[in-house]
Amino acid sequence: MAQVNTNDFKSGMKVEVDGEPYTIVGAEFVKPGKGQAFTRTKLKHLISGRVIEKTFKSGEKLDLADVEEKTMRMVYREQEHIVFMDDISFDQLSVPLSVIADKEKWLKEDILYDIVFYKGSAVDFTPPTFMELLITETAPGVRGDTASGRVLKPALLETGAKVQIPIFVEEGEKIKVDTRTGEYVSRV
Amino acid sequence: MFRAVRDFFAARNVLEVDTPLLSPFAPIDVHIDILETEAIAQQTGYLHSSPEYGMKKLLAMGSPDIFQLSHVYRQGEIGPKHQIEFSMIEWYRSHFSFAQLIEETYQLCLLFLDNLPLETLRYAEAFQKTHSLDPFSCSLQELRARSCELGLESPLEEKESYLTFLWDAVENSLGDHCITCVTHFPGSQAALAKTTTENGINYASRFELYHKGIELANGYHELTDPLEQKHRFVLANQKRVALGKKPLPIDEELLQALKLLQNQDFFGVAVGFDRLMMLRHKTMEIRDILPLCW
Repeated sequence: MAQVNTNDFKSGMKVEVDGEPYTIVGAEFVKPGKGQAFTRTKLKHLISGRVIEKTFKSGEKLDLADVEEKTMRMVYREQEHIVFMDDISFDQLSVPLSVIADKEKWLKEDILYDIVFYKGSAVDFTPPTFMELLITETAPGVRGDTASGRVLKPALLETGAKVQIPIFVEEGEKIKVDTRTGEYVSRV
Repeated sequence: MFRAVRDFFAARNVLEVDTPLLSPFAPIDVHIDILETEAIAQQTGYLHSSPEYGMKKLLAMGSPDIFQLSHVYRQGEIGPKHQIEFSMIEWYRSHFSFAQLIEETYQLCLLFLDNLPLETLRYAEAFQKTHSLDPFSCSLQELRARSCELGLESPLEEKESYLTFLWDAVENSLGDHCITCVTHFPGSQAALAKTTTENGINYASRFELYHKGIELANGYHELTDPLEQKHRFVLANQKRVALGKKPLPIDEELLQALKLLQNQDFFGVAVGFDRLMMLRHKTMEIRDILPLCW
């Protein structure tokens, strides 16, 4: 397996520690007193997101984690899986809904998603930061109720996401949404 | 600040010298890697990691008390407090005492810092405060367990390495509102200092000054025994080889110089100029005060 020396640690590298995959989020050279040098790292667990601090001897080598990031297009939904396709190789594979978790509400056919694979299986899933989606359900806006500033009302989007939209936006319109926060950005 | 340092020594009658940065001999330390270059055809030149060897040779030639403001080089050392090339203030005093050298070093630091008090601690006291362990009597297992608690991932070879690792956390706690002087380091960390024995424990005649967790100075009651010095060089080279590093050529000129200095008492200290500048400008990043750096 490919290895990396502590001297070449860079933020964003994916390494394996105690058989678990981590992303390096910080690495610092420390040399206390007259002794040997160490590299102090902050590591973020690739799956759980937990951040830990670990120190290694300088010059030591770590295995690079077998991690691959792919951008894949959603094709269709199955019972417990979503099927994605690689636009270049046309390979298809299914990702369990358990990995997609609370991002299920941002699933739409024919959209490109970032998927992280560890040892061949999907472990993380990220929708595009901004998506343009159709409003399938919302109450009509009531005029004359805007005096207190920006007034919002709930809306249901075509993917099943529930968001707050300004009252002047109506059912059947397309809006731009920030998928990180679930916030309305603009009308399209 | 360069001028302030020069004035400081001029006022004390300490002569400025300038020894070569590049020499056919290398300073030998297990954990300091030396930059080298082909100086003349098929002969390696080494960039010094401190002006110590050259200055001791000058002392042997009869120089009086001397100081040097020198650039020094250490391969691969890049971090918030480290650079490959940095500036060192180093000086040597004869007819002096250990306590006088500590006081003088403290006074030099005050050129850069506000008027801070000086606090003195023994190595073991400082270690105990942070880790609740006595570094001289605790076992390897205890050191290993404590290191694991602090997130040390690598297995280390010996007690010495664990002490070094754990010392980092101690350093960070030193000299918050004062300058802290640490004395009575373990004899195994003597480098080029004399050692003394007290109640059966071997100590290095060495001190270090810290402020806000940053090591500023490293002073020695200088070892002037050429045989002991040669023995330490050989030992350091053996350890280097064991760690997969290259052994370095022993500086016979230095050993000759020590022969001439053998019956004299010398005190020497090295101070990190850039680190004093960091503290002066209230930054914890050495890059902030070195606009042209690695």
